[in-house]
Amino acid sequence: MDIEKKLDGLSKRVQYARDILGDTEDRRLTAFAQKLYSFLDRNINLTQEELWDKLNTVGESLAVLEKDIDNTLTPMDKVRIVRHSERICLKDILENVYDNYTVVGGKDDMSIDPGMVIARAYISRRVGKKVHNQPVMVVGQEKGHGQEFRNGGCIKPWGNANALRYMKVAARENIPIHTYVFTPGSYPIEDYPGAAQQIAENIYEMCGLEVPVISVISEGGSGGAEAIAMADKRLMLSHGYYSVISPEGAAAIEGRLRGGMRASAELIDSCAKNQCITAKDNLGFGYIDGIIQEPSLGSRPEHFDFYKVVRSEVIRATDEVVLSVKGLRLFRGTAIKSRTKKALTDESVFVRWSINSTEKQRLLWKRYKKYRKMAQHAYEDKRTFVEKINSAKVDAMAAAYSTIRYDLIKKYQTKLQRLAEEAKDEIHVVTNKIDQLKCRVATKIGFTTKTNSEVEFALTKLSVQEEEQLPPADYRHFVSPRANEDREITCPNAEKDGCLEIWSRDLFDEFAGVCPTCGHHFPMEYNWYLANLFDWGTVREFNKSICAANPTNFPNYQNRLDAAKEKTGLQSGCVTFEGHIKHTKVICATLVAPFRGGSVGAAEGEKFVRALELAGKKRYPFLAYVHGTAGIRIQEGTNGLIQMPRCTLAVRRYIESGGLYIVLYDTNSYAGPVASFLGCSPYQYAVRSSRVGFAGPGVIKETTGMDIAPDYHSAYNALSRGHIQDIWDRRDIRRNLHQAFLTVGGRNLYYR
Amino acid sequence: MKSQKDKILIANRGEIAVRIMQACTDLDIGFVSVYTTEDMDSGHVTLARELGGEESIYKIRSYNDAGDILSVADQTNCTAVHPGYGFFSENYRFARRVTERERAMIFIGPSWRVIRDLGDKINTKRLARKLEVPTIPGSDRAIYDELEAEEIASNLFKFQEEQGVKNPVVLVKASAGGGGMGIDEVYSIEEFRQVYRQIRNFSLRTFNDEGVLIEQRIFNFNHLEVQIVSEKSGKHHIHFGTRNCSVQSPGRQKRIEVAPGFYPEGMAYSFDAQKVIDDIVAHSLKMAHSIDYDSVGTWEWIVTPKGDPFLMEVNTRIQVENGVSAQISSIQGDSDVNLIKEQIRLALGDELGYTQEDITLNGVGIEYRIIAEDTDDKFAPWAGEIEELHWKEHSWLKMHTHIPKKLPYQIPTEFDPNLALAIIWGKDLKEAKERGHEFLNEFVLKGKDRKNVSLKSNLKFLAKKTNNLLEF
Repeated sequence: MDIEKKLDGLSKRVQYARDILGDTEDRRLTAFAQKLYSFLDRNINLTQEELWDKLNTVGESLAVLEKDIDNTLTPMDKVRIVRHSERICLKDILENVYDNYTVVGGKDDMSIDPGMVIARAYISRRVGKKVHNQPVMVVGQEKGHGQEFRNGGCIKPWGNANALRYMKVAARENIPIHTYVFTPGSYPIEDYPGAAQQIAENIYEMCGLEVPVISVISEGGSGGAEAIAMADKRLMLSHGYYSVISPEGAAAIEGRLRGGMRASAELIDSCAKNQCITAKDNLGFGYIDGIIQEPSLGSRPEHFDFYKVVRSEVIRATDEVVLSVKGLRLFRGTAIKSRTKKALTDESVFVRWSINSTEKQRLLWKRYKKYRKMAQHAYEDKRTFVEKINSAKVDAMAAAYSTIRYDLIKKYQTKLQRLAEEAKDEIHVVTNKIDQLKCRVATKIGFTTKTNSEVEFALTKLSVQEEEQLPPADYRHFVSPRANEDREITCPNAEKDGCLEIWSRDLFDEFAGVCPTCGHHFPMEYNWYLANLFDWGTVREFNKSICAANPTNFPNYQNRLDAAKEKTGLQSGCVTFEGHIKHTKVICATLVAPFRGGSVGAAEGEKFVRALELAGKKRYPFLAYVHGTAGIRIQEGTNGLIQMPRCTLAVRRYIESGGLYIVLYDTNSYAGPVASFLGCSPYQYAVRSSRVGFAGPGVIKETTGMDIAPDYHSAYNALSRGHIQDIWDRRDIRRNLHQAFLTVGGRNLYYR
Repeated sequence: MKSQKDKILIANRGEIAVRIMQACTDLDIGFVSVYTTEDMDSGHVTLARELGGEESIYKIRSYNDAGDILSVADQTNCTAVHPGYGFFSENYRFARRVTERERAMIFIGPSWRVIRDLGDKINTKRLARKLEVPTIPGSDRAIYDELEAEEIASNLFKFQEEQGVKNPVVLVKASAGGGGMGIDEVYSIEEFRQVYRQIRNFSLRTFNDEGVLIEQRIFNFNHLEVQIVSEKSGKHHIHFGTRNCSVQSPGRQKRIEVAPGFYPEGMAYSFDAQKVIDDIVAHSLKMAHSIDYDSVGTWEWIVTPKGDPFLMEVNTRIQVENGVSAQISSIQGDSDVNLIKEQIRLALGDELGYTQEDITLNGVGIEYRIIAEDTDDKFAPWAGEIEELHWKEHSWLKMHTHIPKKLPYQIPTEFDPNLALAIIWGKDLKEAKERGHEFLNEFVLKGKDRKNVSLKSNLKFLAKKTNNLLEF
């Protein structure tokens, strides 16, 4: 009966609760703290037992109070819970949820990235008299309880690479993967392979992992979370958060703060609330599959009952995923589903977690379907009923046409053609002999086969030039509005390279925005690319009426969104269209920078996915032209964030179906999209003077304290890091793209 | 009476700036002259100060800085810009900018479309072939296909053999190149493919374009030009005869120009020289008509030793050697012809006022370009201070120089090294040559550079070449 210890424990609980509430003071807690502080002094004449009893009563009433506070926690309080050093960490889970484990890929601070813990773990289950050890690969961010070297769970690119490596090991060993997400976000550095590049790689590869993946999210911060959270079942701890950006970051953007200025607490609270970051919100949106209920005020290491809950929840999730792809699941499926709260920890139903190859294919298909269905409520579909029918019809017809044209006919066509060609070549041998003979005879007699005048004519008269197909006279070519101004533009490299001032009409029309002296590329409108990359008059936009919306009812946002729509004349930041480049038909999706910074929300993601699907059906190459993107649209919260795995899955499906996916970066491309569905392309190119990266210089400075060079994100650095494959001059893009269509890409393109 | 309407900004330096100023003064038109730091002692600045006062000179950063030049024009309310030769004279973008900016001005030169179309050699060649004007045998567009290229080359060898060329040579050059980059000779069809690939790959790496041109290489040719003057309407065109510019430095810079182009009256040629002159004049006028040429310009021709003329290019500007054509011409009996004056007058919208019949050509003119250079050492330019520069005045001599009277004068190294132009007239070739020698003997040019090496000039070279002018 260690009174002191008990008292101390209670004090800690009170202090913890006060920490959680941040600046808001709860009087009851203050009173409690006071009471505990003077507890011994006031009760100096009580016996040990009496003191113990009294302390127990106090403890009980504290539990009631905690429960009471728990009911009124704000989203920001939850953010404080997961950030608290008392919060359970991955080590606690490994020790208490699993029956045995071995850490692989590094130990504590002797690891390539101490923030990432990877372990082979066992869950032992008793079936009848037999004990089954079910192995799983556990991957997750380890925040520790305040250890410096853990870096707060911020994972460097090589940490993510290591995680991916062992996830692939799991796939090879055919064991499920359990990922635990405890990260405020990725560590935003661009050293090889680059934060964005590696996260994109992770998501892309996880899309194709042929084993069940279960992820449990406690702190799901943006890209860092997505790097390991792409799963078949996603569970969330009830006091966790899952968000595209930290509430402080969102508030800084909303309040237009720069240079480390702090946003007001109210703004941060409001951002936390409106981004819908809590488990309940995300379950409502359908981005997670279940919530693991935590004790009041969040779980701490000493909540041993909680681990039991976690254990049964992850087992159940894994069981469900495995069973959903198994052929024989009649009874077990129902049994698992009908498991009640009470019997939560009942482990009597046993499912073997290894799956065979058909089941693997089914698993991947289910995974695609699961993400494809997400975020359907988060955009406005303004298409009329007829349009919808029409688009469905076009889709179906395209699929049918390609199957018949390319799968059935083309085979025979090529065969016939080859036969004809072979025959021709055979005949050529004979005719050639005859020709040669004729020629020899002719020269002997004194005739030449070609008359002199013919030769002279060919050399001195106007040769016939193949006229390029010119547009009709009334075709209005796009000219940048800036080309109508009469002013001088100073090149940013003027001091270094001595560039002369450039007349805006020359620069933005004939020069295509390229400085004639140093080759600096000034940004051009996206319409310029539409007009100059594609054959004239072939661009045909589709899915125009899928509109960006405000799914989270973010305050002061609807009017800004409407303003963007009015300014650009677009309904979303993504324009999808079909066009021809030197007679090759292409599907193109463009992220348009002037529309809210080219940020990606639910509508943009949906349009991107649909365009990819269409390209797959029609067997066209797919060009993702990134006019500029600032990242995921923070006002849409997880509705935007979920587009990262969602679009990447669509990309993977398209690439695996044999398509060619080319990404072209222009101006500035940062964050989420680059770290997922853009960055995963094997063929990425950048326009000169563009910038590609994960986080902007300000964010890097703030999170890492590093001062970075001004050209840190420049395309040339991206090239030397291996993120992009080449840097293109804007005036050569059309030619280079054509060249790419001819030489790179998948097996299933229509023109192959 | 000074014209209130027009004021010309002279966007050039040196001799041509001096000539334009003088022409403006003669025409009673105001002008503004510009200069750069290196050029502040140049004669054109002194003369501008003399003729137009301190308010007519402005300092700019560079003669290539369009923005700077145009802001001077705006500040001084100029209505026209004269580019001279070199710098912006054949830059169609500058011409377009002058005429299409918000405060538009007159560009003294052809319209920008004409400059653009004739500035492209391939385009000029195709235009010429369309009008059946003879051009150098070979391709008239960039060739991208190897088989096609080989066909042209083999045809060229065959063609030259038929023409009796002993050692036929074919030139392969990058269509996007220029200035001697990406050009090579082929001596037989067997080695063509190798050279072709070399040039094509070079071109692809350097200019990102695979196109090549394939042409006959012509040796020992004479370089002739036809001086065309056209009204701004683009409807009336006349010519001021031909010039022969065959005396050149190894770097293909002209050193002596003679008008007329050939001298059949006093020389024997292996072909009908008068017919060649008449032909190239007729061809040049035909082209000027067809494209509505609208300023002063020069059609450059090469004439093979057998007397076949081929159009080379069109210079859409006033040339250095304009004075030598003016020297032998008279308009309606008036021998005081100044082509720069005509150019300005026509550009400002005047009508021509005379026809081809009113122009008579008389005698022979020789123009020497006096340059400080070491003719024994690859014509390397000499830089230093001029201490003495004088010559004897003659009625048959015209000197144009921008070297100020006040010596010594430091030759700026930034620009082309022309010091003076001397134009000599004689009633026939013999007299012109004699006077040329007389002038060169009397001419005094002395100076020292920093290492105390005395000035090197091309006077000796000029004298040597004078002996066999117009011989072919």
